[in-house]
Amino acid sequence: MTLSTISVGDMHCAGCVGKVERALAALDGVLATHVNAARRQVLVEHDDATDPAVLLERIEAAGFHPHLTGSAEHSDSQRDLLKRLGVAGLAMMQVMMAAIALYAGALDEMAPAYRRLLELASLVFCIPVVSYSAMPFFVGALRSWRSGLNMDVPIALAIACAFSVSLAHTLSGSGDVYYDSVVMFTFLLLTARYIDDRLKQRFEHSNARLAAMPAEATVIENGIRRRAAIAAIEPGSEVWVGEGEQVPVDGLLGANPAVLDESALTGESVWVRRASGEQVFAGTLNQGAGFSLISNAPADRSRIAQIADLANRAQAEKPVVAQYADRIAGYFVPVVLMLAGLTWIVWQQLDPSRAFVAMLTVLVVSCPCALSLATPAAITAAMTRLRQVGVVLTRSSVLEQMRDLNAALLDKTGTLTIHTPKLVAIDLPAGSSLDEAEALDVAAALQRHASHPLARAFPEPQAARVEDVTVVSGAGVSGRWQGHDVRVGSSEFCTGTPDPDAYRVVLSIDGVTAARFALADPVRADAHAAIAALKRAGIAVTMVSGDSEARCASLARELDVPFVAQQAPETKLEVTRTLQQRGDRVLVLGDGINDVPALAAADVSAAVLESSDLVKRNADVLLLTRRLGALPELVTVGRRCGRIIRQNLAWALGYNLLAIPTAALGLMPPWVAALGMASSSTLVMLNAARLLGGTGAEDTAPEDR
Amino acid sequence: MEILVLLIPLSLLLVGAAAWMFLWAVNNGQFDALDRHAFDILDDDSGEEKQ
Repeated sequence: MTLSTISVGDMHCAGCVGKVERALAALDGVLATHVNAARRQVLVEHDDATDPAVLLERIEAAGFHPHLTGSAEHSDSQRDLLKRLGVAGLAMMQVMMAAIALYAGALDEMAPAYRRLLELASLVFCIPVVSYSAMPFFVGALRSWRSGLNMDVPIALAIACAFSVSLAHTLSGSGDVYYDSVVMFTFLLLTARYIDDRLKQRFEHSNARLAAMPAEATVIENGIRRRAAIAAIEPGSEVWVGEGEQVPVDGLLGANPAVLDESALTGESVWVRRASGEQVFAGTLNQGAGFSLISNAPADRSRIAQIADLANRAQAEKPVVAQYADRIAGYFVPVVLMLAGLTWIVWQQLDPSRAFVAMLTVLVVSCPCALSLATPAAITAAMTRLRQVGVVLTRSSVLEQMRDLNAALLDKTGTLTIHTPKLVAIDLPAGSSLDEAEALDVAAALQRHASHPLARAFPEPQAARVEDVTVVSGAGVSGRWQGHDVRVGSSEFCTGTPDPDAYRVVLSIDGVTAARFALADPVRADAHAAIAALKRAGIAVTMVSGDSEARCASLARELDVPFVAQQAPETKLEVTRTLQQRGDRVLVLGDGINDVPALAAADVSAAVLESSDLVKRNADVLLLTRRLGALPELVTVGRRCGRIIRQNLAWALGYNLLAIPTAALGLMPPWVAALGMASSSTLVMLNAARLLGGTGAEDTAPEDR
Repeated sequence: MEILVLLIPLSLLLVGAAAWMFLWAVNNGQFDALDRHAFDILDDDSGEEKQ
């Protein structure tokens, strides 16, 4: 049996899914199909005799455009571009040398025969550039003829005009040639396009890591291992993950512990140890010995699949920005063509011999490439950079909002702190019959039976043996120890009266308090640094929590932030609204359902990885890493991105405003125009690529585990 | 200056050869993963030399 994964980009609706499934089911040799509508992928189990090409034909016949995933489509297009660029570069060196000789010769009275020889050589080198390297521009221009002019039109026109006029002049043996301008123009434009392509590819790579899952996994059924399609693994089945393999589905670890590389999820390269019974996630890599797990979610509902879907949403939104830029170009291009025509007409009246050069220069110099590249290039680079530090944006407009952001509300529990509580102190009341170690041991023996999160703060019991254990949900655990009735849990449960000092866990013997345990949620390791960085960025940080005043106060003092305690979900919303009415732009970082109203009202909503699904679905930003440092990084990158977009737009507009009049007045030779135009595009791309570089210290903060 | 009559066609041939070599290199994937090889030294078990 063979498995093929087929992407069907235009399979949007439930009806389409049905159509594709029926089309494949009718085929002999197809054993089963699994459709993932969200990713627009079909996983087909078929016998070895069936060629995947037949499957593609079949889906195509049903009216779709499928292709096999993992095909080398992208790398092909990049190789193609590189070849065109290389040919143009080699030709440019030669044509430039000839051009220098020609310009010098024009001053020095070169013999006409040599002049002609150099022109012919330039022509020969120019032919592959126009007919091969510049082909994408011609194709793009022709395609846009129907759908509205794009920026390829003036480029293609300029190349075609300059080349054909030069050709005519060379053949007739009189008049100027512009081979140098043609070749340089093409080469520099291709360079800008190549950088753009590489930026996009890096972004796709970082996303592809989310989606790159194996098609098959080893399932253990009644002690027998067999290979099965991941999409067909039901929750509850036992799955074997071999050494070095990728975890195929979300699940709970079996008997063996595991060492995992979770970087695909979190961006953290530090390996993580998971104990038996802990949750492990699909997409992580097994770096230790093999282990088994019990699946607890279908493959397309795994955490990594959900994150990939959210990231895709942001990607799907990206073209809006690109469209916007293309629209600018759409207005700009007809204006440019008209200007070029006008220049020609006016110069025809004044000095016909200069009309063509002036028109060509306007055409070349005014191409709005830089204008339409300015925004998308910067956004792509910023999103790639953020993915590297473990931040996924589900809306790309978040980047623009970072500029005005000046307030942040951070939820305390689970956001500033980790969910696992820690035992910080044991308090023995006067007259207690136990010492600290004994008290802890008895409490631990009881807590071992509880599943409450607070119970996890207690260590493994040593010597104490308890019998007749009863777990009372939401209150505590009772049992019998050395003939005494012992209870651990809330003070009310243990002694019948609430504790005056609000200790969360109390141990009682025969109804008398024997020990009190102070528990605290540990603060994330880099919370302090992250908050300081946010403050430096001019963002007022406030901690909001549903927790009691006293518990918030100590943490707030430690982190040096103002706080609002004992907040219900509605009042968290209220706090957000109050800030917004003051004119603040507010970011809310939360993790629980109780944060949803505030997140919905926030200008930018962010969720941590451990958040409940509802929160993650609604968040604009997902922090996949456990470091809070990702938050100031988001602010920094967002602001740098905004700055770079404005720089790019200002440059592109300023350049055009300055260059077009100069060109129309005939003050600029064509080669200067080609150089100026293309280097302005390249400059814009390189400026955007600056975002990929790190901003420093935050990268090296230790992981919080 | 007569030497140009020889040198220019010669440069044509040389550039043709250079272009051919470049295209061959690209088609053979020499430029596909420019960033990867810096990490090869850190990778313990991917070297073909071992086998």
